[in-house]
Amino acid sequence: MGEIDKLDLKTLIANAIGEVFDKMVSLEAGVTAMGPQENEIEDRIVGSIGFGGEVMGRVNIHLSDAFARLIAASMLGIELEDIEEQEEVDDVISELSNMIGGQLKSHISDFGLPCELSLPSITTGSDFQIESRGWVRHEKVGFGHQRHRALAEVYVKPGN
Amino acid sequence: MALRILTVDDSRTIRKIVTKAFKPFDCEMLEAENGVEGLALAARERPDLIILDITMPMMDGVEMLSKLKNEPVLKETPVIMLTAEAAKDKVIEVVKIGVKDYIIKPFEASVLIEKAKSIVKLRAKAKEESEAIKKCFAIEDGIQVLVLPDKVTNSVMAEVDSHLKGKIKEMEKAGITKLLLDLSKVTNVDLSLVKLIVSTFKKCKNAKLAMRIVSNGALTNKLNTFKEVGGLPIDNSVDEAKAALGN
Repeated sequence: MGEIDKLDLKTLIANAIGEVFDKMVSLEAGVTAMGPQENEIEDRIVGSIGFGGEVMGRVNIHLSDAFARLIAASMLGIELEDIEEQEEVDDVISELSNMIGGQLKSHISDFGLPCELSLPSITTGSDFQIESRGWVRHEKVGFGHQRHRALAEVYVKPGN
Repeated sequence: MALRILTVDDSRTIRKIVTKAFKPFDCEMLEAENGVEGLALAARERPDLIILDITMPMMDGVEMLSKLKNEPVLKETPVIMLTAEAAKDKVIEVVKIGVKDYIIKPFEASVLIEKAKSIVKLRAKAKEESEAIKKCFAIEDGIQVLVLPDKVTNSVMAEVDSHLKGKIKEMEKAGITKLLLDLSKVTNVDLSLVKLIVSTFKKCKNAKLAMRIVSNGALTNKLNTFKEVGGLPIDNSVDEAKAALGN
């Protein structure tokens, strides 16, 4: 438990978001200490990824469908109107979660708490809440681009 | 001859980004979404370079890499590992098995290209190829006609698909509502051709354009073995297709 307490999860996740947006999304993502509440995000899409080993964790990225589409178009280098299927957007957000989770997991592993990444998953809808229980730490950061606001959460607990 | 580059990643997003990164170069891009498909495609196509993810369902990148190294005809194929796994122990593991290089996601496309250039000779795509693809499109009797070349490789498929988006916008502006896809020059039916036909059909459907396909008997029989193409409107000649489109 002591080692988990030493993890600066907010900084790690904020840095991961910044790096992903800078290198692959080509959109400026301003990271804030506080993000929106889940239910403040309209037509929500949530990318989730877990990791397990010496420490277990979960990362949830909450975005509006509009922001997700903007990210998808930017990452794929296409116009917004050229996005043909929701599946394209879901896949982009899945990969976004994978990369943010991967960055976090790598820092945690190098900190001396080896763990493995799971496969990412996507949840979409307009009226739902994700309840995560049994974790010992829970941190949130907000991020956004222009009028779009999003929320990144990380949960951890001791593993093996 | 174009370099063959195989990208193996369960993320369609990453496969698209990698394909896009190599677009300016004379490359044929191949894609697989897991290690099982990747091995099968590598054995069949003998790529010049493999861009390989680690975390994938069915067979992960580490297992695929190990199997590649055990195949006499594939063991020398250079591999760049492209992965979200930046932890030192994972990197050491894959380097020991034998990769030419690795890139941690997120990555800049320019970094991928630089690393690829240090392994294979990337040549800029000849402008002629892009110009040749543009010449596949023509307007005849108020119909957009797309005549595919004899061989529809992955790079031809990507070029045509890319040009088609712009052409459909031009059609919409000009009030042209019909497209004729002419396969009469095509000599080989493979997955690239089928993907292009399906993609063209989807684009026309989304843009509310009428579409007909022209194909000869032998080619039509081969096409009909692909369920994705079954049911699509195929005519034996351009005149038949134009008549069906109401010209």
